[in-house]
Amino acid sequence: MAEGSILTDDFLRELMNVGEVDILIGVPTLNDAATVGQVVQCTRAGLLKYFPRQRSVIVNVDGGSRDSTQDLVRAASISDLAQGTNPSALRTLHCISTSHERSTENGMGLHTIVAAADLVRATICGVVSPDSVSIEPEWIERLLRPVSRDNFDMVTPIYRRNKFDGLLVRNLVYPMTRALYCKPVREPHPADFAFSGRLASFFLEQDIWSQPAIQNGAETYFVISAITGGFRLTQSFLGPRPRVDHSSGDLVQALRQSVGVLFWALGKNFPVCPTNSATETTTATGAEAELSMEHVRVNRKRLHQMFVHGLEELNPVLYSILSSATLAELNQAATAAEDSFRYSDDLWVRTVYEFAAAYHQEVISPDHIIQALAPLYRGKTYTFLVENRDSSAVDVEKNVENLCLTFERLKPYLLEIWNGRK
Amino acid sequence: MSLPQDPLWYKDAIIYQVHVRTFYDSNGDGIGEFRGLAQKLDYLQELGITAIWLMPFFPSPLRDDGYDIADYRSVHSSYGTLDDFKLFLEAAHQRGIRVIIEMVLNHTSDQHPWFQESRSSRDNPRRDWYVWSETDTKYRGVRIIFTDTELSNWAWDPVSKEYYWHRFFNHQPDLNYDNPAVREEMWDVMKFWLDMGVDGFRLDAVPYLVEREGTSCENLPETHAVLKELRAKLDRDFPGRMLLAEANQWPADLRPYFGNANEFHMAFHFPLMPRMFMGLKLEDRKPITEILQQTPSIPDACQWCLFLRNHDELTLEMVTDMERDYMYDEYAKDKSMRLNVGIRRRLAPLLDNDRRRIELMNGLLLSLPGTPIIYYGDEIGMGDNVNLGDRNGVRTPMQWDGGWNGGFSSADPESLYSPIMLNPVYGYQAVNVHSQKRFDHSLLSWMKRILRVRKSMPVFGRGSMEFLYPANHRVLAYVRELGKERILAVNNLSSSAQVVELDLQRYKGDILIEMFGKNIFPRVTDRPYLLTMGPYQFYWFRLRKI
Repeated sequence: MAEGSILTDDFLRELMNVGEVDILIGVPTLNDAATVGQVVQCTRAGLLKYFPRQRSVIVNVDGGSRDSTQDLVRAASISDLAQGTNPSALRTLHCISTSHERSTENGMGLHTIVAAADLVRATICGVVSPDSVSIEPEWIERLLRPVSRDNFDMVTPIYRRNKFDGLLVRNLVYPMTRALYCKPVREPHPADFAFSGRLASFFLEQDIWSQPAIQNGAETYFVISAITGGFRLTQSFLGPRPRVDHSSGDLVQALRQSVGVLFWALGKNFPVCPTNSATETTTATGAEAELSMEHVRVNRKRLHQMFVHGLEELNPVLYSILSSATLAELNQAATAAEDSFRYSDDLWVRTVYEFAAAYHQEVISPDHIIQALAPLYRGKTYTFLVENRDSSAVDVEKNVENLCLTFERLKPYLLEIWNGRK
Repeated sequence: MSLPQDPLWYKDAIIYQVHVRTFYDSNGDGIGEFRGLAQKLDYLQELGITAIWLMPFFPSPLRDDGYDIADYRSVHSSYGTLDDFKLFLEAAHQRGIRVIIEMVLNHTSDQHPWFQESRSSRDNPRRDWYVWSETDTKYRGVRIIFTDTELSNWAWDPVSKEYYWHRFFNHQPDLNYDNPAVREEMWDVMKFWLDMGVDGFRLDAVPYLVEREGTSCENLPETHAVLKELRAKLDRDFPGRMLLAEANQWPADLRPYFGNANEFHMAFHFPLMPRMFMGLKLEDRKPITEILQQTPSIPDACQWCLFLRNHDELTLEMVTDMERDYMYDEYAKDKSMRLNVGIRRRLAPLLDNDRRRIELMNGLLLSLPGTPIIYYGDEIGMGDNVNLGDRNGVRTPMQWDGGWNGGFSSADPESLYSPIMLNPVYGYQAVNVHSQKRFDHSLLSWMKRILRVRKSMPVFGRGSMEFLYPANHRVLAYVRELGKERILAVNNLSSSAQVVELDLQRYKGDILIEMFGKNIFPRVTDRPYLLTMGPYQFYWFRLRKI
């Protein structure tokens, strides 16, 4: 690999063989052999069914898998090298793979994908997650068509989720993004999304790729910079996305990938829209939100315990992050018995805004700030679960909407504390 | 010059397809004839072709451009006499050019005396020469070929009050090959022309000779039996003559037409042709390599016939629905260009008159395994006129010069058998033999050069082929090999410059010699052989171990 390049010589050679394409689908992976074969086959089927005439390539950027992930992606190629013909394909479909061991974070993967898209001059780009096991060929159409037909620059997904799934997005990332950027995007940290070649080139030119926040959550930054850059953004309903059972260790990583990037991006684009701006609408193809109501077993008691213990343990750290009033309110709330404990929307939004300001002011290391948010988020999650235990889908949506309105209402508070007044 | 005695002459041939009517009118009546064609043999010899395939020139009501024959043993009066034909044949042979004529076995014109007799009464001795039925329900489900004009394969005869079977136009009743008298008569017809000295027949519409209930009435074993019988007689009485099958079928269905080298010597590779155009438009070799991978091997003495364009529409019967839609959208956006299941356009307009693409397609035609056929006028890039109806738009007069009627005829323009091309791009003043002869860089001059190169090595006609499959799918590369002769063809199907790495390890140590300029390229080593290619560029290399 040439110095200063993220592309290996072998990968570059593969891109030369691919040549100019219309569509590039990126699949970032790391030890995903259990699922990636199905995902790539479905992606291929979607390309063949809905974009049979377009020149397409599937690009796998692997973080150094020890399993057969890369082989499974390559096996989806359609070419005259494979034995047997493929009458459903007009043309060759390259499925290529490159591996990098420099980082296990996804920023490198997305960086490589946008670099490849730029080099092969793809006008329509997409990213599918290797764990999107519910993917159907139609997802590819729903993601790419708004770019190819309607000239949108970015398409984020809307999934049908369980009402208790995606809570970090629903309780923080979505409402905060919507409030600050005046643009409702249901999945600001998308697993599957599409973007135009124009936007890919824009991303590539950004001097962001060495930033730790980007290494963790480039997708969120893509969405935010598409909004702040004035690119045309839309949403597309894809279908059900199975619940991913995150362990507690994953929560901090999830916070880094979404909230960390959101906080970091605020520093680059603040204030993002005036406090009195009305929230714009973001078009959506298909359902704008859909919740499934099947029962999910969640250990609420443990969540509450983790909140209480975390708050207690981190009090010295939180003291440097939160205002004394907010911290006091939290400490007061933690004294309540589990049954009567509630983390109000108002307190939650103030907590988040104060974390954002602290991140901006670098009162302590940014990563410690993100880690410190974890127990508080568990407290909010507990409240959400309790309040929505018997709620219908409509009621859950109403509660989320109320939270969004609280984030919007308290935006002046964020502006107030942003530059140091605590 | 005498004709070489090689019985496999057709494997090395370069065939020029022409209709006598279209080529040159020497008597000023507006219609080309055999005397005119004979006068232009020097041109064809200079071009470098080695055989002429003549479209039907028999007496005919000409409702299907002569494929509706009314007399198999004569020449249509517009084209001259039998003596004129004999003179032409002799003149062609003197120049080393063989002559292949059309023979329509499957059907006659409804004006043919045989059919007139057959329909005259149900008791007529020739009644059984055609396929009659009291109902139009026999052979139900058999596909209709001319979907734009025919609703059924049966037509009602008001004279004898029965239906007759026709796979093509309703004025072309099918002969009944279950009748031994028909088979004997058609052999006699062939013998008539073979005795005169013709070198081969292009047998039209051969899959449809015999009908059987419950089948597609195509490619039936009984049809193959008829053809084998004809071939046996040909080999017995006229060794060295050739039969070429017109059977628009998938490769696997075509294979039986070669039999064990006891049926046809050659057959058109219909499915390859549209895929060459498809590969070019897609900038992807996949359609070409796939169809050739599916092509079964054929006996050593047999040969595929390859073509880019001919007198018919660019047929899209042997492609998938998806491929057909693509071809229509890319090559016939204007619906008037579509006819039946195909596209009625000539080579140059199909390729947007892009000289690079025309050269590349000819390069493929002349280097892929098979005997190439060049359609008259395509060597100078003639255009078409879709306003002329049916397939007449690709059958306009040959354009010889920029003068009166393009040098085709001294007749009044109104009396020409077909309007000559007049438009500023493809008209006779822009595209003609005379002007192209004057310049070395003209398409005609280039065609002469490439035909010369093709003829310089028998490997093109007789060699094996092996694809190289470089990772760059825009590049189609293959090695042709015959004994110690080896050539490498590398074709860039794309509109942009390409880099390709070829795995030539098998030929390690060989020197590559580019066959047009005879320049030496680097020796093959263990490492991938790197070539950079311009848009639509192709190379032919001779591999030499020195």
